[in-house]
Amino acid sequence: MEENLIQIKNSAVSLILEAQDQKELDEIKLQFLGRNGRLTLAIKELSKLPKDKKPEVGKLANEVKSTIEETIASQASVIGKNQAEKIIEKIDITSPGIKPNIGHLHPLSLVLSDVIEIFKTLGFQAADGPEIETDKYNFEMLNIPKDHPARDTQQTLYLDIHKSHAKPGEIILRTQMSAMQGRVMEKTKPPLRVIVPGKNYRYEQVDASHGFEFWQVEGFLVDTNVRLTDLFGTIDYVLQKLMGEKIKIKFATTNFPFVEPGVDTYIECTVCKGKGCSFCKQSGWSEIMPSGMIHPNVLKAVGFDPKKVSGFAFAIGLSRLVTQRFQMDDLRLLTNPDLRILNQFY
Amino acid sequence: MVAPLSWLKEYVDITLSPEKLGEKLTEVGLGTEKITKIDNDIFFEFEITPNRPDLLSIIGIAREIAAIEARQIKYPETRIDIKNIKPKKSLPLNIQTESTINPRFTGIIVDGIKVKDSPKWLSEKLIKIGQRPINNIVDITNYVMFELGNPIHAFDYERINGKVMKVHQAKGGEKFKSVDGLSYYLPKGAVIISDRENIIDLCGIKGGFNSGTFENTKTIFIRVPVEVPVLIRRASQSLGLRSEASSIFERGVNAGGTPEALERCLDLILEIAGGEISSSIFDIKKEDFAPWVVNLSYERLNKILGITIKKEIVLNILKKLNLSPKDTGKDLIKVVIPTYRNDLKIEEDLIEEVARLYGYNNFPKTIPEGEIPTKTILYFKNYLIDEKVKNLLKADGFSEIYSYSLISEKDLVNLNINSDKVLRVDNPVSREFEYLRPTLKINLLKAFVQNKPNFEKINLFEMGKVYLGPTLDEANELYMLSGISNEKNFYEIKGLLERIFEELNIDEDPSRFIDVTRDGVIFELNFSDILEKTKLERVYKPIPKYPPVVEDITIEISGIAKTGEIINEIKKQSTIIESVELKDMFKNNRTFHIIYQHRERNLTNEEVGKIREKIIEAVQQKFKAKVV
Repeated sequence: MEENLIQIKNSAVSLILEAQDQKELDEIKLQFLGRNGRLTLAIKELSKLPKDKKPEVGKLANEVKSTIEETIASQASVIGKNQAEKIIEKIDITSPGIKPNIGHLHPLSLVLSDVIEIFKTLGFQAADGPEIETDKYNFEMLNIPKDHPARDTQQTLYLDIHKSHAKPGEIILRTQMSAMQGRVMEKTKPPLRVIVPGKNYRYEQVDASHGFEFWQVEGFLVDTNVRLTDLFGTIDYVLQKLMGEKIKIKFATTNFPFVEPGVDTYIECTVCKGKGCSFCKQSGWSEIMPSGMIHPNVLKAVGFDPKKVSGFAFAIGLSRLVTQRFQMDDLRLLTNPDLRILNQFY
Repeated sequence: MVAPLSWLKEYVDITLSPEKLGEKLTEVGLGTEKITKIDNDIFFEFEITPNRPDLLSIIGIAREIAAIEARQIKYPETRIDIKNIKPKKSLPLNIQTESTINPRFTGIIVDGIKVKDSPKWLSEKLIKIGQRPINNIVDITNYVMFELGNPIHAFDYERINGKVMKVHQAKGGEKFKSVDGLSYYLPKGAVIISDRENIIDLCGIKGGFNSGTFENTKTIFIRVPVEVPVLIRRASQSLGLRSEASSIFERGVNAGGTPEALERCLDLILEIAGGEISSSIFDIKKEDFAPWVVNLSYERLNKILGITIKKEIVLNILKKLNLSPKDTGKDLIKVVIPTYRNDLKIEEDLIEEVARLYGYNNFPKTIPEGEIPTKTILYFKNYLIDEKVKNLLKADGFSEIYSYSLISEKDLVNLNINSDKVLRVDNPVSREFEYLRPTLKINLLKAFVQNKPNFEKINLFEMGKVYLGPTLDEANELYMLSGISNEKNFYEIKGLLERIFEELNIDEDPSRFIDVTRDGVIFELNFSDILEKTKLERVYKPIPKYPPVVEDITIEISGIAKTGEIINEIKKQSTIIESVELKDMFKNNRTFHIIYQHRERNLTNEEVGKIREKIIEAVQQKFKAKVV
């Protein structure tokens, strides 16, 4: 009797372990544990045993039953896994995926987000101001009185004053984001760390590196002890974060009436890698960020004492920076709504 | 400004290679735009900043090179001494001028000259810098202007009527014929010189035809003036007439340099055109035009620059720039500014001089110290909201465009917008870009059309400003958010905007911002308004401890009942109605999915039953609808 039970167990286990799918397993289960299964019948035979033998053999029969059940269960999970793997084998995983329909953000937005984020780490707040501006904020408060020759470098678009009370030449489309210096500073005491992104307008003929509408990010910092080296350090940090550590940066002297000393920043042209191309006027360098220490006359105009506070200001040529970042060779690409361009940016 | 290397070398020894020199000059502020090699010479093209009229001369550029190379400048030598002229004869000339409109009037008469073509060396030099040779007299005055930076004009003395020169301002409308034969109507305030009958000079801009130097001229009066920058600039702008001279005068000419320029010019004339000095020197001026002193605090210099530059180095830099520093032994350095550097007026100007010659690229870099301002400033804008909304649109398949704010009248007409009520630019770059857009839809529609040949499904949006009038008095700039889609239907756009509003905590129905057109669904909403209303704060609501009761109710509506109104009516019936959603819609049947939820206890069937009855009654009464 015992031998019979052990034989049943052995044959069941070996069959179970060889089973390849659930159907086979089900058949094996029926064959041994079904109503007329081999084990079921063997257990029925137990009643014929002598009384003293019954507990011992009954225990063994139970063990055989649970062993068979457990083996079936474990084999079932092995088979399940194998079958899942097989589904993967059946499909062509090299076929392209089905992408969700997600759009694209404009490169200007992408770079602007980075700029705002980087300056945030330096404690700069972001602001916003009007594009329809007055001569006062755009020029006069920036130490550019009427008839100043520096106005030639920023040919202005004037608004039609017809049917309004505005004086001729007073209301313009801002030519530079620096117009926001006066607006913010006359209302806020130092310390100040501000950036202002925005669109500017100039009477300018359009070409690959110039537009009559262009974006800048103005920034200024005013405090009790601001140094020229802080300006160099800030520009260097920001441009490296934006353009990667390999970017080559050089500084040069320049003149804007609202800064002294005046600093211009060039980066090596990414379009031609410094070799010279039409975008960088064959110079290999792209002028990206005029800046300087805020002129005492500007500080005075907003009521600050230039003996007590100093500051620096800069204007990132955002449109140009964007084209440089993505090695685009024409500023006009930024206002071209062709999806074949836009779809390249994430 | 073009400067040939050969010409620069006449005044300064140059050891740097042209490329290195160009790089260094750019660093110190003389932007080198181009270096070209033609024949045996090298040409530098410089961009001159408006503060440096001295760099509109070859000698000025040579001075910068001398400072870089630490060399002495060699000024041209002359055989005469302008301060010590003893004319053999004295021809009469009556000069009437006023220092407010003509701060300095330096001049002299030369008789017996011979007008002819310039010698080869002179005409070649002028051609090199893009000037057309005319005759020896005109060429010499031009040459000296380019060499030294002081504009000079030679008048035909014989043709000065009454031998009177009166400097005064135009009344406006006078006709003036310039030396090149062109006629102009003068603007009011233009500084001019008249003789007894005619206007003979448009000061600082162009000489007159009727006193010009031509072949038969025998006697000339050479004038080296100082003009008032603003007056020259205004006249030149209103005439749209620029000259080398006006560029120099409007930036501020070297007021102390007129005698030297006259001396150089006179010397060349006597050498090349002959003749003899026939008057004493005229030098009418109100002040001395002597060099001035600007104090530089050594301590402040280092404080502003952020590094400590040794005092000897500071003094040496100033010396190299010809600024004659005097070390007082204390903190102050007294710096004497030559008259050609009228850009140097305050201490900060001198700080730049030291910094630029020290070399901007030699400075260490630091990160600003001091307090980080925490108070929100005026004009603050939370750009995160923009980003959030843009990202939602992106996630829904929209791509972002940036378009021009300036549009054409035709654009307005296409959208049936009256251009009279739209803000306009007085001096547009072109008619294409004349008006300030009052809506973003115009450019979106154009972008849509542009993409049609290449794409079947188009979803575009723009976030940008519009500019509302009707006149400048009411001018208002607003941020708008606008989009166009030929893929999504009204409800999908509405749902998108609903989701955006939900994220910004704005309780509003966006239907009114959406328009369905032949091209697709277009939306435009006032984003400035959205920014105002946005609340980003969120308070966590615990998940309910008690189970909700959920059921669907189908209502058959008749007539024109609106689904939105029915939902609102259902919601109104009890505060324990957590949400009502439209689950299904078939003919006149609307199935609503209703969730009842009490936050403090279990709901009984009885309670829910009562509310259900209220709902049924309400929709029956209000909308004549019945429950199916």
